[in-house]
Amino acid sequence: MSSKGSFAQISPSEFFYKNRDLAGFSNPTRSLYTAVREFVENSLDACDQQGILPDVHLAIKAVDPEKPDPKPYILTVKDNGPGIESKHVPLAFGTVLYGSKFGLKQARGMFGLGATMAILYGQITTNKPVYVKSSTDAQTQDEYELLLDIQKNKPVILKHETKEISKTGLSVSICLEGDYSKAGAKIRDYVYQTSLITPYATITFDDPKGEKFRYTKIVRSMPPAPTILNPHPYGVDVETIKRMVEDSKFSIPTVDNKTIEKVRSELGLKKKDLNYSEIMSRAKKRWSSLSRMVRVVIAVMSFIKKDFDKLSKIRIDDLDLTAKQLTYWDFGESKSFTIDMDPESDYYKQLTNTTQGEMLVSFLTKRFQRVGRTTAEKFSEFAGFKPEKRIGTMTNQELVTLSDSLQKFPTFLSPDPSCLAPLGTEPLEKGMKAFFNPDFIAVVQRGASAYSGFPFVVEMGIAYGGEIPSGGTKVYRFANRIPLLYDEGSDVVLKVVNETDWSRYKVKGDPPLVIVSHICSTKIPYKTVGKENVADRPEIERELRLALQFLSRKLASYMSKRGQAEMDKKRANLYSKYIPLVAQFCTELAGKKKEPDYKKMLKEAVTIETET
Amino acid sequence: MKQKPKKSIKKSTEERRKTLAQLLKNKGAEIYDELDSGKFPSFSVPSRSVSNIVYDKKLRQYILGSNASLRSSRNMSQLRSFTQLMWLAFFANRLVNEKKSSTLRDIYYSSQAFAVDFEDQPESDNIIVDLEAVLTRPREDLHIFPEERSSVFGDLVIEYTVPGYEGRRSNLSDHPDGYLIGPSLSSAELVDTSAELVIAIEKGGLFTRFVEEKVDKKFKSIIVDTAGQAPRSTRYLLKRLHDEMGLPVVILTDGDVYGEHIAMVIKSGSANAAHLRELTVPDAKWLGVWASDIEKYKLPTIPMTESDIKRITDLQKDPRYQEGNWKKQLEIFKRIKRKAELEAFSKYGLTNITDKYLPEKLELAKSL
Repeated sequence: MSSKGSFAQISPSEFFYKNRDLAGFSNPTRSLYTAVREFVENSLDACDQQGILPDVHLAIKAVDPEKPDPKPYILTVKDNGPGIESKHVPLAFGTVLYGSKFGLKQARGMFGLGATMAILYGQITTNKPVYVKSSTDAQTQDEYELLLDIQKNKPVILKHETKEISKTGLSVSICLEGDYSKAGAKIRDYVYQTSLITPYATITFDDPKGEKFRYTKIVRSMPPAPTILNPHPYGVDVETIKRMVEDSKFSIPTVDNKTIEKVRSELGLKKKDLNYSEIMSRAKKRWSSLSRMVRVVIAVMSFIKKDFDKLSKIRIDDLDLTAKQLTYWDFGESKSFTIDMDPESDYYKQLTNTTQGEMLVSFLTKRFQRVGRTTAEKFSEFAGFKPEKRIGTMTNQELVTLSDSLQKFPTFLSPDPSCLAPLGTEPLEKGMKAFFNPDFIAVVQRGASAYSGFPFVVEMGIAYGGEIPSGGTKVYRFANRIPLLYDEGSDVVLKVVNETDWSRYKVKGDPPLVIVSHICSTKIPYKTVGKENVADRPEIERELRLALQFLSRKLASYMSKRGQAEMDKKRANLYSKYIPLVAQFCTELAGKKKEPDYKKMLKEAVTIETET
Repeated sequence: MKQKPKKSIKKSTEERRKTLAQLLKNKGAEIYDELDSGKFPSFSVPSRSVSNIVYDKKLRQYILGSNASLRSSRNMSQLRSFTQLMWLAFFANRLVNEKKSSTLRDIYYSSQAFAVDFEDQPESDNIIVDLEAVLTRPREDLHIFPEERSSVFGDLVIEYTVPGYEGRRSNLSDHPDGYLIGPSLSSAELVDTSAELVIAIEKGGLFTRFVEEKVDKKFKSIIVDTAGQAPRSTRYLLKRLHDEMGLPVVILTDGDVYGEHIAMVIKSGSANAAHLRELTVPDAKWLGVWASDIEKYKLPTIPMTESDIKRITDLQKDPRYQEGNWKKQLEIFKRIKRKAELEAFSKYGLTNITDKYLPEKLELAKSL
């Protein structure tokens, strides 16, 4: 590539630094809020994964309270999670990591990325290090003071101490420029709502003005942890398939002593040394009984033409089948050699075969969820591939066809929801009861459904009356146990709620009504990069609508009972007000002294149906 | 002026009062018994909707048909108005027994002392009409009077029954401005009169002129100012003068469609009071001013307004205007599209109406 020079390579740190708007660090207000979210969510995720009931303590303190906003704040988040092993701390907090995860599982955020962004942002705006305290064994705690080398994407350890401690957990403290006077309301909302959807956690927040918010555990059981699953065929794109193909290829074995031992034993040469050509002829005779790995080693040997002794002194660096070249490093001579391979040779074909990866059918059944052998074969036919086609031999065009066909194939089973972790109706109900103390509550968890290959589950709760203030329906939106606070106008949940004709459910005016909606999915279809509103995918909209209808019907039946009770009360009041008057008037009118005995009628009156 | 002996007075108001008191007591006892036996009491209230107002040719007035609705204390939505009705009967009973009068407005405020609430006066007025319909007695019998007042003048001796004046007598010619037809006059017994005629006149101004011109003496008459559409107490007095004193009643109104209808209401009642009897003088005669008089006497006129003409059209549908002079005059009004007031005779001199018009019309009336 001649223009190579104009594409300067940048480190991931630098990339994120330059694109920090995307990650929610666009201004001091938003950044403070985003940083809080990232750390709190990391803590909750860590506890969830280990089945620990989370205790998360958040504190924000102004470095100089007298200064006007925006100004530097110290943000500290401390949890009782599993902690991070000492040796991993600098890498986890001092580099921007990016991993390749094919496994599907619901989690609040991508591991670590956002937190590192927050650290990066803090460092950029205040030039202060991050303080990390971690204990994994409840005995010693490692305390680090780190800076991030943005250009090199490497941690710089300023200080490292070890102390004794009695609890596991992680504490992260950063200094960053923020604007609490503007972000405060959002952060308090965030903490409040996060506690609502995480009733098994204790979350506390000490704000810069000295206010303390305490949300203690309402339930002591955690929802079952999600299992990690292969992706569903509907949920992968070409890029993902390419990476999966790469991953599935049989790698060129390292020719270490262990490998050579195995080759020797299969050739029956454990105690016998043969020269190179004797080994090759012996291998040829025994070819059919050799394992795949040994065949590959023999094939490599056929090109480099060395015996076992010499073989143990080289490292194979590259096997380029297109260029038909093999490159190896010779330790004895401290030199790299590249040799041409004869494409007509049987050994060359053996190598090609090996590096061409799995057959399509086994690739599909092994690497995807919900695909069996029959489905895989039917799919191959549908996509126009031979079932035994090696995926490693597919051209770019063929991979695109494969990817497209995976999207279009109509009969894949719907995604397995066991990778999801909904909260569950009981904790949701208990949480809502504790938060709103309503007169009426109903919750529902819909069955698992899927959109574009991503499974999702909708949970919803509705609460009415009690301590809920009148003034209209308040909707709390959650996705994967994260509260969605911004951009509610364009959200699918709001759309569904607003399209509901509440008068049909006997709800009038500005009701004291709360709706809690929780969408769980391995991939929430956010409308914007800010991840604050969910797009109106028809499948999700439908599930939300059905959930809301179910709850609204329950509410309606409560409302009519309540209406009946109010009517009864009103009726009783009416009769006990007027009947004594009638008695008084008719007594005088009739010229009697004693009033008629009407007491029994007041009891009867309650049972009278309304007559029209 | 002859003075008949006291004992021969027909105690009609006293009797009415007594029968009403009994009626109220009976209603009260009925409801008392129902309550005592654990039943929810109710009233049958004749329906006053337009569809239930019919013209009775025999009675020569509007009456209510047979439709009635049950106002039950058992029904939640009627309980309140049932209690209001009950209270009104109770309160009217006190008024009648204590011989006290009250106005429609009084009723509205009095209710508040008994925890019976009326939202506004129209609501209490409406309940009063309901009670009238239930008892078929006008509110004046219940000692409830509207604010409007009209007057009477002439040689008529009455005897008061109101507290403090019991037995006291007055001659209604003693005061030249006439006597207000108020609660005390309405409840007074009619003792004696030398008059041979009752002239009801629409306007206060003409009433004064008639007194000044001694119409009472010249024509041996009692003059009644109806002050526009005659209030019930006035109509009731006219009826008593006719029935008890045997006096014919003639009516003088403006020469327009409203005047004609004032005469008609005195004669045969109004749809609004279809639930009541005893307010009409079927033999009363309308002397004028007729539409034909406008032409005949060459009276100065005023053009009719659109609403005047509409009123003619409306009345032409009324069964009482389907024949005779009533029908004829409406047709002439409609044709000439002009109207004349009683004062129009002043063009020919202030006394022209009493000297010339009245005698002529009275003469004519004999043949009506």
